[in-house]
Amino acid sequence: MRVGFIGLGEMGRPMAQRLLRAGHDLAVWARRPEAVAPLLDEGASAYASPAELAARSEVVFSIVTNSADVEAIAFGPDGLGDGLAAGAIHVDMSTIAPQSARALARRYAERDVGWLDAPVSGGGAAAADGTLAIMAGGHALVLERVMPLLATLGSRVVHVGGAGAGQVAKACNQMIMVAAIEAAAEAMHLARAHGVDVEAVRKALLGGSAGSRVLEVFGERMARRNFSAGIQARLHHKDFGIVLAEAVRLGVPLPIAAQVCQQLNALMAAGWGGEDTASLLRVLEAQSQARIDE
Amino acid sequence: MNVGFIGLGLMGRPMALNLIKAGHTLHVWSRRRESMEPLLEAGAGECAGPSEVAARAEVVISMVADAPDVEQVALGAGGVVEGAGEGLIFVDMSTIAPAAAQSICARLVGRGVTMLDAPVSGGEVGAINATLTIMVGGDADAFEKARPLFEAMGKTVSLIGGPGAGQVAKACNQILTGVGVAAVAEALNFARKSGVDAGKVREALLGGFAYSRILENHGQRMLDRNFRPGFKAWMHQKDMRIVLEEAHRLGLALPSAAATAQMFNAMVGSGLGEDDSIAMLKLLERMSGEED
Repeated sequence: MRVGFIGLGEMGRPMAQRLLRAGHDLAVWARRPEAVAPLLDEGASAYASPAELAARSEVVFSIVTNSADVEAIAFGPDGLGDGLAAGAIHVDMSTIAPQSARALARRYAERDVGWLDAPVSGGGAAAADGTLAIMAGGHALVLERVMPLLATLGSRVVHVGGAGAGQVAKACNQMIMVAAIEAAAEAMHLARAHGVDVEAVRKALLGGSAGSRVLEVFGERMARRNFSAGIQARLHHKDFGIVLAEAVRLGVPLPIAAQVCQQLNALMAAGWGGEDTASLLRVLEAQSQARIDE
Repeated sequence: MNVGFIGLGLMGRPMALNLIKAGHTLHVWSRRRESMEPLLEAGAGECAGPSEVAARAEVVISMVADAPDVEQVALGAGGVVEGAGEGLIFVDMSTIAPAAAQSICARLVGRGVTMLDAPVSGGEVGAINATLTIMVGGDADAFEKARPLFEAMGKTVSLIGGPGAGQVAKACNQILTGVGVAAVAEALNFARKSGVDAGKVREALLGGFAYSRILENHGQRMLDRNFRPGFKAWMHQKDMRIVLEEAHRLGLALPSAAATAQMFNAMVGSGLGEDDSIAMLKLLERMSGEED
């Protein structure tokens, strides 16, 4: 299939590579030309603008940082909207506000272009292995058409509902996941304050009711004091901005998410935004003046 | 002085009336004609839009809901900027984000208009009695020129700093009042659920370190179960949103404000948005298993 791909960062690059290796005719575009180089070596072709890339693609994927980026790629000057033919599809895998996804879906519908919001969970390793969890929002027929492509990228694709529903699921994912990271950090911090071996505590808990993927993966990073990303905490910080803005708009109380967001604010202030979210442990240590020599 | 006034709601109307009482000539405009009528009866001149208000005045005051409204009034089609004569001072007394105030101020300067951000605290009662606290950011000369107007509307008038500084002070005010209302509501609910007379607790505490204006005024209204606004819960929710968006932008932890903001979300979501913010008490009662 003729596929376009925009956003060749930590997540996007391995995803695009999987599509290439599955035999698809892949077109790429990036603001920075050096970002496309590794893909060109593997046989992708580069285009000068999203519009040009769109004009030759049946399906275009994007995975970029925020709502403004997606809006610019879609309907900015020389955007996808100028190139996508009727019947073509834009699958956005970025994490953005549900409201933005709904608005983009409406604008595409006016031109008979299909839309899917399909944010992912699982991180860089799952992107490379094709084992991402994909949460899709949009029309069922659109999802059906791109399903073979999504199956190359993820091991679990769930159709959550109409446009924006994928982003709602992603927001829920981020709330649960980062709250669990904070809970793991607090538990590790308490264990350490007692002078108990945190790794032994973590191993013991993994077998019981408190066992979780977060305790497994982020707990290990905390125990080893390995804070190199992983997932850059600044991205979770951004996601919590979206979640809490939606909570205001809907009149929904999210007391835990609100507290976690404040810890993320403190993390950003400490300059750890470019490091892994396991750094929430270091926020607690800084708050209790119990920073441990590394 | 020839003064323009845009935004004649719960707060704006009594503020504008106090300017007339102080001898100023008012020129007003409102989207809804009925909002203007009490002012027209008191002698204000009617204008067709913000640009006409600006053309007739040396100082134009706005008191509207949120940043997009201020932008529209100041810079939109038919806005203040289109009618502004030389040296016009635009005073926005709404509560908006500091960053939004700075941005509007910078764009107005480019068009020859000086802007002051001058949000207020004190509620409808303070507006009626001309006892508002007014927190001003912006140019010092413009502040001196507008000072007689501020003094006709408020009791405590302070120039805090440059553009946006008034809104920063107001954000601090909203942290203190938001968290304060929640604390008073929790304390009074705690007393009553413990089987103790909450009114006596309030009276006892007024003499000690827990004394606050909020315990005195808002606490009394909670005991009276007088939830008539005052200051509506949805407006406090909006102000807490501004505070927490700024905190997010700055990388600043505000855990108590964040917890309180979620309580305001719950109030608006459960239909208490039009009540005074002291209806926080009703929310807590529901959380402790009571019907209203």
